[in-house]
Parts: sequence; structure tokens; C-alpha cells
Amino acid sequence: MLGSIEKPVEDKSNRLGMTRVGGRMIADYWDDLFTARERGKKIVWYNGGALNPMFQAAGLAWCHGEAFAARLAAQRLEGPAQLAGAEYGYNAELCSYSRTHLGCSVLTLQGTEGDQTGVVGVHDQEVLAAKLPAPDFFVNNYAGCSTGQQWDGISYRVFGKELPIFNISHPFLWGNKPDSGYLRGEEWETASRFVADQLRELIGFLENQTGRPFDYDALSESMTYIKRAGELRREGLDLCKAKPAPATFWDWIASVAPINFLPGNQALVDYFADVRDEIQGRIDNGVSAVKDEKYRLYFDGIMNWNKLGYLSRKFAEHGVAVLAGRYIQNAFWQEPHLIDTSDPILGMAQHYLLCPTNHGAKTLEYLTLRDCEEYGLDGLVFHSTRTCRAFTGPQRLLARSAQDKLGIPSIFFEGDVADASFYKDGILESRLVAMLEAIDVRRERGSLPDGFSAFA
Amino acid sequence: MTDASSEAMERLVGVARDPRAYVGRWRAEHPGGAVLAILPMNFPRELAHAAGALPVIVQDDQQPITEGRALLAEFYCGYTRNLADQVATGRFDLYDAVFTADHCIQLIGATEIARTLKPDTTVFLGMLNSSMNDSWAPAKVTETMAEIRAEIERFTGNPVGPDALRQSIEACNRDRRLIRQLLDTRSAGEAALSPVELQDIIVSSMVMDPVEHHALLLEALAGLHGTERDDRVRVHLSGHLCHAPRRELLEVIEDSGAIVVDDDLYHGRRYLSTDVAEDGDPIAALAGWYARRNVTIPCPTRVQQDADWDVYLLDAVRHSGAEAVIHLVPKFCEPHMLYYPELRKALDAADVPQLQLETEHEGMPLESFRTRIEALVERALRRRPVHV
Ligand code: SF4
Ligand code: SF4
Repeated sequence: MLGSIEKPVEDKSNRLGMTRVGGRMIADYWDDLFTARERGKKIVWYNGGALNPMFQAAGLAWCHGEAFAARLAAQRLEGPAQLAGAEYGYNAELCSYSRTHLGCSVLTLQGTEGDQTGVVGVHDQEVLAAKLPAPDFFVNNYAGCSTGQQWDGISYRVFGKELPIFNISHPFLWGNKPDSGYLRGEEWETASRFVADQLRELIGFLENQTGRPFDYDALSESMTYIKRAGELRREGLDLCKAKPAPATFWDWIASVAPINFLPGNQALVDYFADVRDEIQGRIDNGVSAVKDEKYRLYFDGIMNWNKLGYLSRKFAEHGVAVLAGRYIQNAFWQEPHLIDTSDPILGMAQHYLLCPTNHGAKTLEYLTLRDCEEYGLDGLVFHSTRTCRAFTGPQRLLARSAQDKLGIPSIFFEGDVADASFYKDGILESRLVAMLEAIDVRRERGSLPDGFSAFA
Repeated sequence: MTDASSEAMERLVGVARDPRAYVGRWRAEHPGGAVLAILPMNFPRELAHAAGALPVIVQDDQQPITEGRALLAEFYCGYTRNLADQVATGRFDLYDAVFTADHCIQLIGATEIARTLKPDTTVFLGMLNSSMNDSWAPAKVTETMAEIRAEIERFTGNPVGPDALRQSIEACNRDRRLIRQLLDTRSAGEAALSPVELQDIIVSSMVMDPVEHHALLLEALAGLHGTERDDRVRVHLSGHLCHAPRRELLEVIEDSGAIVVDDDLYHGRRYLSTDVAEDGDPIAALAGWYARRNVTIPCPTRVQQDADWDVYLLDAVRHSGAEAVIHLVPKFCEPHMLYYPELRKALDAADVPQLQLETEHEGMPLESFRTRIEALVERALRRRPVHV
């Protein structure tokens, strides 16, 4: 049956109940955004690092471009936007986040022709299941990937060069200097100050757009909640080192949206406290995230949003707990200790620089191998994310390092962030099975390095 | 052409087609001199030249990709995959260090391959602020230019004083101006040099010492006689960032009833578009050059709200009298894919016939390209006024 995707036989995954609560919070957030203009809010479209606390403090409504593209893909509603993008001229090999979002821009413009409702493709609302309001202005905050910066530059053009745009530039943390390393060295310090200075400029820009003085206390308050949420998230992540694992990478993927763009408030803190508590409860009661956990793996790449549920079941079916990944452990307010809540600008700038595509390969190697060791992993799965060159660039190097330095194997499978047509199930299935067999053989021979022996 | 001029031209062609041999000769003549691999498209070669090094803009060497496949995904652009392959197979050992100033994520990916596989080699990224309208961009770019100078000084052990740098700037300007004149006369109707010959001249200028190149090019041009364009359809070639389009493709274009009258290719006007100011502080002059370059011919790898590639393209078409535009898009080149619809829209609005050709590193479908170019030529011919 060419091209068909077979459903995994038995669902051995045991997803956290809290993620359903997260799903409702996210749905509420979008509903709120869709009606923001009616409530007199100005709307900013932004890409890249989580600037939402800034926008929250400025009294704006915010739409994160990647998040909207991911949401459409997760709901399998990306089709109309991608079609509009293709008709406009975007090549199918272009970053699918950007072309989905640019397709939304095209639909927005078509939808507002003749009326000023400011609603995405009025005639397509039902299909899109989204009523994305047009922006009042753009802010770009993309680190690491050059496409991220160019994408907003093009959105600005698609909207006829009429809306204000503010751009934050992030030096790539390449590691020219001998003292360069993760969170250290002259390059890190200089880049942090450079981005922090730009955030201060952004505040001036936001004041101009809103006509109001910026509320620094509100920023501190929101960052206090976000810092606490980040700490709780880290605690929860650390609990997942337990064997068998109480929660997996897929649970944390379901919690990306809350940490990445929901408002900094008590509800956010409560959510991550409840996630952590649920995980702790599972440990206390001997409940595992994957029935009969046999293997523990790393997942590298941005999520294949159309396949979240499917992949979580698929890996579980093979007794695999996927536990760590660049997109989880090394993203999204992952170093909360950097945030000084009384003056959060520098810590925010540093998190924007810590985007997982903004590091040289040496730092990525350090982070990946560290997580493989800490979570006791047996192998790595690389999501060769077809239209995201930023994530895929260093993947082969990381696979080599894991093999050479930790003696653990890797597989690659092709898929994409928001374009399901690139996903090849047969390839993932056969490579995964082969890798798991190889892990079995090595366990039998007892040749795995320390810390990687079979526990099942 | 005289014997002397055709011999000079042959030498330029030789360098363009075999940079390795030229580097070997240069090394023999400059014992101890450093040969730097420079990655496109904005690195100021002047800084390396002033330190007595040979700054070679690394070319796609058009070899099939073998070991590089295991290092970089197949959906990276051909240029970056070719770079990875050059590194993996030892063809990159020609260079003593790598210097780059651009932040295309695919270029960074390839540069990482060089750094990882050659851990003892200096691989320096002096990233130039790519968002050109940022109010802090000029100061940041000047700072980066100074960092690049410091790193080159450290690497070569030679100081780069203002006088030496000014001399290098003058040498590069002279060479750029001379080649630019060739492009200008081509737009004005001169057809003595084919697109392949012009490409060879430009590639050789990216590889050679600018003083030597200028002298050799003067010699090559000495015997050149003016040739008027024939009646083929006048086309503008647009795009193709970072690496040169294949010579076979340029030949197919001119064999299909078209004649190239202008371009904005990197291996064309884009590389040569802008001179560096010869007065004032030379580091500030290089920063100014970087900024003006993107105004002269806007590049989709930069973000600049008040510089429009589409507007530039329409102006260029009007100026050269091109009757059609061929977009040459290297497959998987993300900045080009992002900007392309804006170009298409502008040309459509101005009713300029256009064709997009997606070029591949290997297995380019030249015959299907020929058919499509012929169709474009037909379309353009139908627009010509009928004389009775
Ligand atoms: S290519 Fe990847 S990192 Fe770059 S903008 Fe697209 S999704 Fe983001
Ligand atoms: S600008 Fe285009 S051709 Fe150049 S490295 Fe980037 S993707 Fe490749």
C-alpha cells in the first residue's frame, strides 16, 4: 500500500492528563486574539524569541508567526494558507512555517479587500478555523536562522510596506574566541549586551505604537511568573530522568505553546506546577509514560506538528520513551536563573540568544551529549526537518559525535514542521526497528558504555 | 584579438576554471604567504589583501557531491553541499584559513563542516549585521569590520595599517571599475564578450590578487574590437547568489534565441556593483561600502525596508532595454525563494515576460530549459513592433 500510514496497533503511550488543560489554555488564548481588535487592542505579529512579556506589558495582543503556522498544521488546517502561498509564488521547498504564515498574510489581504474587518480570509474562515487579525505592526526577534529574519522582511512587503516593523539582530554564537562556551566567554557577554540594548530600543518603538509609556512594573511582574514557570518546567524535566520515565518528550511538546507565548500570570505558573506534580505523582505511584519501557531515545529537530499524536504512539508501540531533544531541553526559558525579575531585560536578551539554532556545533555537541548522558539514552532520532535548514545543518555532526564520544547510534527520518507531504512513515519505521535491534544486540554483548546498560 | 591579448584572456580563463593551479603559483611566488578561503557574498577582501594574504572567494568547483552527502542534508543549496564535499574530500586543503562575514543559515551549516573536520584551522565568522535599517547597524558593522581586521592581523602576523588598507581598496576598486565598464558597455549594446567570457573574467577576479588581475585584464582587453549585438531577444539574468551559474546553462540561453544584455548575478553586477570610498578612515569606508552595496543592488539575504530588489530589477530592465527576465534560482536557496514572488509581481505589473529556472548542482535538465527559454523568446518576439 504505497504511501499509506498504518495506525500503530496498540496505544502504549500514557500521555500526561495536564496537557489537555494546556490545550484549553491555548485555545482560549487564540480565541482571545481573534477578538482582540474588537476589544480595541493593537495587534503585533512577531517571529522568533518569546517577546510576549514585552507585548503583555505594553497592553498589546500578540501573534507568534511560527506558533500560528504550527497550530494550523497540528489541526491539519494548513492547506488553504499553503495553497495561497503557493499561488503567490512560494516554492514548496521554502520553510513551511514561513510559507504557511505568508499564505495567511496573503489571505488576510484578500479577506480585507473592500472591508476593514482585519480578519484572515473572511471567505475562508471556516476552513482555516482561525480568525487571525491583521497586524498593526511587526517585530522580528529571530536568532540563529537567517530565514526567520527575512520572513518578516517579506511579510512587511506583502502588506505593501505600509506597516511599521522593528527588527532585533542577534549575533550567531559562533565561538570565535578561545574562551567561548555555553553561557560564558567574551562573545556571550558582548552579544547579551548588544541584544539587551536593542530590547531597550524596542520599548521606545512600542511606546510610539501604543501612544502610552511602557509599564516596566508589568514587565517585571510578567517575567516573575515566567521565571517561576520556567523553573517548574525544569523541575518537571529533571524528574523525567527517572527510569521508567514518568513523562516523555511528546508531553513536553504539548507544553511548548504555554511556555512560549501564553501570558506571564498565575495561571501559567499553576499549569507548570500541576505538570510537575502530575509527573511526581506518577513516580510516587510507579506509573510510566510508556508501557513496558525498553529503550530511551533523544529526538532532534523541530516538531513535525501534524504527527505529534501519531509519533508519540508509534515510539511507545516499540517500547521507546523519547525523553530529550534540542527543541525541549535547550529552548523556551530553559535557563531561568539568568532572569533578574527586578530588571529582566538582560536575562530576556540572553534567552533569545539561546535559541537552539543559534549555537555553533561545539556548543550543540556539548548540550546534546550532556542530555544523552543525563537521561541515560540509548540512541538518537534525527528529524531531518526538510524545510528547516537551521535545525538540520549540524545534525550529521551531532550524530557523529554521539557515535564517537558516547558510542550510541542514530537514525535519520525525513519530515517537516508544517508540511505533512515530506513525512515518510516507512523510512522511520524500518530505521527505528533496525536501530532498536542494534541496541538489543549491543546490550546482549554488554558493549554499551557506562550508563547505557539495559535497565529493562 | 591580438596574440598577446588572447593569451592574457586564456590565462584569466585558466584561473577561473582552475583556481587551484593559480593558488599553487601564488604560493611559489609568495613563500609563507597565507591563502584565505573567503565565503560569499559580503566579505571585504581588501582587509586580507592588505595583510599580504591571497583572499580567494571559494567557487563551486562543479564536482559531483560524494562524501559531502554524509555531512549536509540533500536539501541544502548546491553551493553549500559542494563546500562540504570540498572539505570532506580534501579539496579544501588548498586554504590556510576560512573567513566569512555572512549569515545565511545554509552557509553557516557548510562552514561548520569545515570547522569540525579541520579542527586546527582558523574558521572565522565576523558576522555583519544583516538588518540594514537598524539604527545601530552602522556602528555594529564598523565594529565587525575592525574585528575582522584584528583577526586577519592575528592570523597572518601582519599589521593592516591605514595606508596599506587604502592601497588595497584602490587596487580592488580599479579592478571592479574595469570589469563594471565591460558590463556597462554590454548593456549599451556591446556584444564582444559572451556571458561565459564575462563570467570567467569575474571568477578570475574573485580568485586572483587584484593588482595582477587588473594588469592581465587590461592586456586581454587591449585587442578587443567592438561588436554590435544581433537581433536576438535581449534578456536580463537575475539572481543566482553565491555561486556562478553553469557555463552550459549560459550557452543554452544564448543558443535559444536570447542574448544576455545585463544581470544582477553575484558572479556579475552584484559582486562588482560598489566601490569603497578611498578617502577617510578605511574601516569606516568598508562599513559604508557594505551598506551602499545593498542599496546599489538589493540582496535578499539582507533585510532593508527602503531598498527593493524588484524596483532595482525594473530599473535595470528599462535601462538595458531587456525584453525579458530569466530568474536563475539555485534550488533550495531560501532567501531567493522568499523574495521571488515580489520580483514576479513587479515584472507582471510592468508586463515584462519572465521565466524562472531552478538550477541544480547535478543533473540540470538543460533540454527542458532550452524549450522553456525558446518559449520565452517567442513570447518576447511577439511583443516586438511589426514593421510593414
Ligand atoms: S527554517 Fe526553521 S528556524 Fe528558520 S524560520 Fe523556518 S522554521 Fe524557523
Ligand atoms: S544565499 Fe542561497 S546560494 Fe548562498 S549559501 Fe545561502 S542558500 Fe546557498
